[in-house]
Amino acid sequence: MNKAGIVSYGSYIPQYRISIEEIAHIWGEDATELKNQLQVQKKSVLGLDEDVATMAVESARNAVNLWDGDPKLIGAIYVGSESHPYAVKPTATIVSEALPTGKEIMAADLEFACKAGTAGMQMCFGLVKSDMINYGLAIGSDDSQAKPSDPLEYTAGAGSAAILIGSEGIIAELEGTYSVTSDTPDFWRREGATYPSHGQRFTGKPAYFQHSIDATKGMMNQLQTNPSDYDYVVFHQPNTKFPLSVAKMLGFTKEQVELSLVCRHIGNTYSASSMLGLNRILEKASSGERILMTSYGSGAGSDSFSFIVTDKIEELQSYPFDIEYYIKRTKDIGYGLYTRYKGLLK
Amino acid sequence: MEPPKIWREKRQRYLALGISCTKCGKRSFPLSEYCPYCGTNDVEEYRLAETGKILYFTNVSMTSDEMAFNAPYCLGIIELDDDIKVTGQIVDCDYNDIRNGMEVKMVFRILARDGNDGLIKYGFKFTSK
Amino acid sequence: MRMNGRNVFVIGTGITKFGEFYDRDSTSLAVEALNAAINDAKIDRSSIKSAYFGSMVSNSSPHSSFSSKCLRECNISIPFTRVEAGNASGAAAFHQAYTSLASGIHDCVAVIGSEKLSDFVKNGTIEKILGSTIDYQWEYEIGATLTSLYALITKAHMREFQTTMEQLASVPVKNHKNGKENPHAQFRREIPLDRFLSAKRISDPIGRFDLATHCDGSSALILVSEDYLNRKGEIKNKIPILSSEHSSDVLALHHRESLTQIKSTVTAAKKAFTKVGIEPTDIAVAEVHDAFPISEILAIEDLGFFEKGEGGNATEAGLTQLNSKISVNPSGGLKARGDPFGATGIAQIVEIVEQLRGRADKRQVSEIEYGLTHNIMGTGALAYVNIFGKEEMKQ
Repeated sequence: MNKAGIVSYGSYIPQYRISIEEIAHIWGEDATELKNQLQVQKKSVLGLDEDVATMAVESARNAVNLWDGDPKLIGAIYVGSESHPYAVKPTATIVSEALPTGKEIMAADLEFACKAGTAGMQMCFGLVKSDMINYGLAIGSDDSQAKPSDPLEYTAGAGSAAILIGSEGIIAELEGTYSVTSDTPDFWRREGATYPSHGQRFTGKPAYFQHSIDATKGMMNQLQTNPSDYDYVVFHQPNTKFPLSVAKMLGFTKEQVELSLVCRHIGNTYSASSMLGLNRILEKASSGERILMTSYGSGAGSDSFSFIVTDKIEELQSYPFDIEYYIKRTKDIGYGLYTRYKGLLK
Repeated sequence: MEPPKIWREKRQRYLALGISCTKCGKRSFPLSEYCPYCGTNDVEEYRLAETGKILYFTNVSMTSDEMAFNAPYCLGIIELDDDIKVTGQIVDCDYNDIRNGMEVKMVFRILARDGNDGLIKYGFKFTSK
Repeated sequence: MRMNGRNVFVIGTGITKFGEFYDRDSTSLAVEALNAAINDAKIDRSSIKSAYFGSMVSNSSPHSSFSSKCLRECNISIPFTRVEAGNASGAAAFHQAYTSLASGIHDCVAVIGSEKLSDFVKNGTIEKILGSTIDYQWEYEIGATLTSLYALITKAHMREFQTTMEQLASVPVKNHKNGKENPHAQFRREIPLDRFLSAKRISDPIGRFDLATHCDGSSALILVSEDYLNRKGEIKNKIPILSSEHSSDVLALHHRESLTQIKSTVTAAKKAFTKVGIEPTDIAVAEVHDAFPISEILAIEDLGFFEKGEGGNATEAGLTQLNSKISVNPSGGLKARGDPFGATGIAQIVEIVEQLRGRADKRQVSEIEYGLTHNIMGTGALAYVNIFGKEEMKQ
């Protein structure tokens, strides 16, 4: 079996932001209390001429540009999302032709709520390790949906992350991956329904926390590692409070998880969430450091990964369109424009 | 927005394709089978430069049905760094901040959607560099 | 010298009122214009051997055979050709008719320009129709409308020659003033400069009231060869067509070297003036394509009436007013008359012919030897220039 790891990474976040205050004002909620609870300032909003495919292309192009390799060497491409532009017609093919990769490529779209992107990563790792492909591209991209006035509306943001996986030029080598899966109805959307439904408090303990904890413990157990062996840890970020809590429960420190918390600035980007957190860490990590990532997708499941950063990472850390560029690139909008941008006006 | 036409044009729109002539060396946009300068059939596909400068621009508010979803938007002629000129929208910029000579880079965006049931047409636009 | 064929004359003109006529269809408008032209020509309709229809979409069932229906209603059974060249469909039909006579194929033909646009009430439909007069794939589908391309052209002219917003607005002000005296014009009242300047910008710097309206109308001509005239004896009010030229330029603005010159106009005009052996200063009256204010400013420069860059100054100074240095668009132009695409090119010719016949009433230009018409497609992919002379003139 080959060794495999992350070879490159790319991000995309649209420029528009709407603040908690703006949304709270509409529904007569207490913004201060919400901000304390969620620890999110603003969430990102897609522009009128953007969708999950355009974001996926931008993040993928950033990953490929950073890598500076030939996209025709990519042997597989998977795009995970809960808001693909088409219910039938894969986003993956659009990204493939926009890079462009060659025609001889495996591709599919994935859905597993917020962990569809990391499921794609696992598929790529498997294909690379078994020497079936040289490079694989896993993308998580979402224009997160939430019913207006629902608590989720405050955090449902938009973004995309692309991770290029291969056996050569590795910047963060995969030590192992461990997943847990169960049939848990914490958050769902029926075919044809406009908005998702969720189990409110039920989405916490038996869902997010249980799976994140089980997967992370399983990963560390398999590798015989402890929280103190890691320099960074990333969790799925439905808000900032949950990853901080689960980190604490598992014995990680606030310092270990802080860098990953993109949620503070952009909200919950669903399939892109944990991967964007990972990208932020890869921007800053140094050779020899260890990263643990555990995603969570409702329905439910968690994918945990352990990475060791190689010295190749230094070659890749001065790309202008990195995640900080997108986090800092902001244009505030009010709820009125927000309704137009989200397509709420029928 | 017929499927064959969208399919036929997608590569040119996604990758911003023109041609490079093997005989006279000139490059041109859009994709063509013959060189518009010397007439030879011996041309190669060429990807346009991804950065350039705005030559002219205007703010379009009255527009076609298929573009109305995005209106008002900025439209301009961009001179790319390889001296090829294209027409393109300039997005993610406040109209009042846009200037002649402003440096831009290509981005991938939705050009139009065919209602709620039809296809989505993607292509290149520009944003401030 | 017969190098360019036989002499051709206009012997009859007909025109409907231009405007929004929800109760009338294309056929009805075309019939009115054609019958009027035949009556004006005072010939037997059986003399007409072929018809040329200039029309872009015709009506809301595009390209429907209104031409067939028109001929049936006019009780003429002849071959016809529909000619399409976008906004210049009228001039294009005229050019085909002219060449058929000059070449000796026919002796007497009818030309009818007709368009009905008021059915297109839904926003954005006309923009899509006009999308086919520009680069559909790489301008229209990118988000450019015809108006937005003229906005870029206007900005280029303002930047290079310091043409001002007031100078641009002085074009429709003049044309509405002229249109007041045109019984066929859609708009027959003066509109002050301020109205144009303060209106909402639809694609800056072009404002909502700057563009010619897309309306309904039809216009027609009867053309005959010199041989026909010699056979038939005395026909009054025949106006010689001294030249009919057209030229093209690259379609997309991003392929052009300059945005401040419509090359196709320059080339067509040069060919026309050379053919007749005169200079632009010999033209006393011209009907030019003023779809947008910048269009007229460019036209009067590119046709050679004023130096490049001086169009704004000249218009502001009143040099294109009725009976000034050159009378430009005495009919009110596309702006006041209205612009039913295919009908416009022929309506321009109707005006010049009537001017040369001395029948333009309150719009009459006092001293004319030569008149000119100018009709273009889109942003100038095609341009047509025709020069006409007084009855007494021989080619």
